[in-house]
Amino acid sequence: MSILLVEDEEALASYLKAELGSHGHVVEHVARGDLAYETARDSDYDLLVVDRMLPGLDGLSLIQRLRKQNTKTPVLFLSNLGGLDDRVEGLNAGADDYLAKPFAFSELLARVNALLRRPANMNEQPHTLRLGEFELDRIKRKLTRAGTSIPLQPREWALFEYLLLRRGQIVTRTMLLEGVWGYHFDPKTHIVETHMSRLRSKVGDDVIQTIRGSGYIIRAPQSHA
Amino acid sequence: MRLSHTLKSASFKLTAAYAGLFALSVSILAALTYFSVTGELSGEFHSRIRSESQALQSDYLAGGVPQILRTIGERQRGRLADGLDYSLWDRAGHHLFGYLPNVPCKAGWTILTGPPDGDEAPGELEKLQLYVTPLGAQACLLVGDDWGKVETFGGLILKTFAWIFLLSLTMAIAGGIFLSSRFLKRIDSITKTAEAIIEGDMTRRVPRRSAPDDLDRLAATLNRMLDRNTGLMESLKHLSNDIAHDLRTPLGRLRQLLDSARHERPSTEEYRALLDRGVGELDTILEMFAALLRIAQIESGSRRAGFQRFCLSRLVSDVCEAFAPALEEDGRSLKQDIAPDIWIHGDPELLTLSLANLLENANTHTPHLAEITVSITKSGGGVELCVADNGPGVPPEDSARIFQRFYRLEESRTTSGNGLGLSIVAAVAELHSANIFASDNHPGLRVGMTFALAA
Repeated sequence: MSILLVEDEEALASYLKAELGSHGHVVEHVARGDLAYETARDSDYDLLVVDRMLPGLDGLSLIQRLRKQNTKTPVLFLSNLGGLDDRVEGLNAGADDYLAKPFAFSELLARVNALLRRPANMNEQPHTLRLGEFELDRIKRKLTRAGTSIPLQPREWALFEYLLLRRGQIVTRTMLLEGVWGYHFDPKTHIVETHMSRLRSKVGDDVIQTIRGSGYIIRAPQSHA
Repeated sequence: MRLSHTLKSASFKLTAAYAGLFALSVSILAALTYFSVTGELSGEFHSRIRSESQALQSDYLAGGVPQILRTIGERQRGRLADGLDYSLWDRAGHHLFGYLPNVPCKAGWTILTGPPDGDEAPGELEKLQLYVTPLGAQACLLVGDDWGKVETFGGLILKTFAWIFLLSLTMAIAGGIFLSSRFLKRIDSITKTAEAIIEGDMTRRVPRRSAPDDLDRLAATLNRMLDRNTGLMESLKHLSNDIAHDLRTPLGRLRQLLDSARHERPSTEEYRALLDRGVGELDTILEMFAALLRIAQIESGSRRAGFQRFCLSRLVSDVCEAFAPALEEDGRSLKQDIAPDIWIHGDPELLTLSLANLLENANTHTPHLAEITVSITKSGGGVELCVADNGPGVPPEDSARIFQRFYRLEESRTTSGNGLGLSIVAAVAELHSANIFASDNHPGLRVGMTFALAA
């Protein structure tokens, strides 16, 4: 997939370019906001990764201008440390996701992949999600495994749905905190871990895997022969 | 130097203007008095002489010159002449009576000057005003008086007013100098204090006087401002000390890690472990900075723009639901006592963060099997959000300080955390104009905030 990386910090940019490249993405790097605007407007990228502070044109204005030009390319907005309002500003400007600097590369990769594979509209996803023997009815809020209903607590249900909508992708702890709980901070408490273990105890250990140092992934379990 | 300073002072200018105005009004009063008194006097002077001349003229018509002489003689004897001078000359120029010189016999006023008689200003001649009355074809009657008396009286009035003028002006100026120099002295003391503080003596304060007045109130206000500034500077100094101190530990550990990675030739496996620990140390530092920046951002008040009405009861029970499994896994039990359907105006995200910090604080500082209670209670006109535990609690003398940045009880030095969690809670409370509190739970700690209830 082709990614335009707009970042003026040379060291970070070349690191990200190399790492994303080694994960199969074609990355083009631009250090100036105004150049990025022209580049993004004239070519067709699958994703833009945009830093907030940029020479020429700042990240927020860049995203706003592109959105005004009706550019639909998904944008991952990189904000500053502790910038409580950066997230809201970034999303308001038209970014699809945000990530606060400094971040772990695994976090960036997970979000990049999520954005690249994200359907244009999450709500257009089918009412019933299927994975192997699992069937999740999003209207009736019912989960069944091989026809057997599995009762879930509301938050466990949201957690399972979030994973299922991103099947085959790594989902990080932070993504879950944001997506399932709406928490834009990192609690010391093991909220995700405890809910995950409760969910696992209900749906079975085999369906949600932990990727060490990265997050979780949901995969169809080997069906029982 | 000192005098020119005084002359330039605002209070002196005011006094001078006041003195000028006073002088002007004294001058106007003097002019009015002078003209009305001298006008009255000269009118009386002239009418007296004229009526005397007319009376004598009727005497002449009744009895001729001898009758006039008789009347004059009677008047002078009976001291009724009232200082008037009379003379009678015949038309041929022969002197008949009196000391007044002969003048052309034409009816009307004539002014004569003569040698001074003592009531004139020095160097001035005696001034006589005469009224001439021709008596038929025979004689000429002269009645006159010393005009100097009128002039002297007018002069006396002017002189008196000149003294009053001089005296009052002198007093006004002297008073102005006196008052403004006293005033300036106090202004000077404020200036001197300010200069001493600029020089670095932060302990200096503006001297106060026992009698409270405007300047004294100003001094008190300035002193209060200085106290507050000193307090803020102190806390800033403490803060930077604390940051330096709290940074040194993880940075030191990081340095040691890197050092051992360089010298000890670790295996790939050990190398990875070292790197993981290094990243962990760095994350601690970054977290600390993120928390500090977050506090600063909350304190800036910019988040107030995004305030909305939301159900606090719902928010709190959602947070409890999220945290309960993890707390239970840590061996704490979480109880909820939440008044339903409480709505407030605020920032739900920041309140979620605050409640999370309060819960984590309770979790960190209580032993295994402790009980944590989250409650929302309506009290008076407000709503109290409280997290209570039955752990060891905080000594009462420290309970106010737990909200300070980097504050940690000695016993908690070894536990995880950066001492900023409750500072964030305090900043969020402040943003919501809520009061934070920390009290004894007998045993344990009750900590939380009280909101004014949204109407």
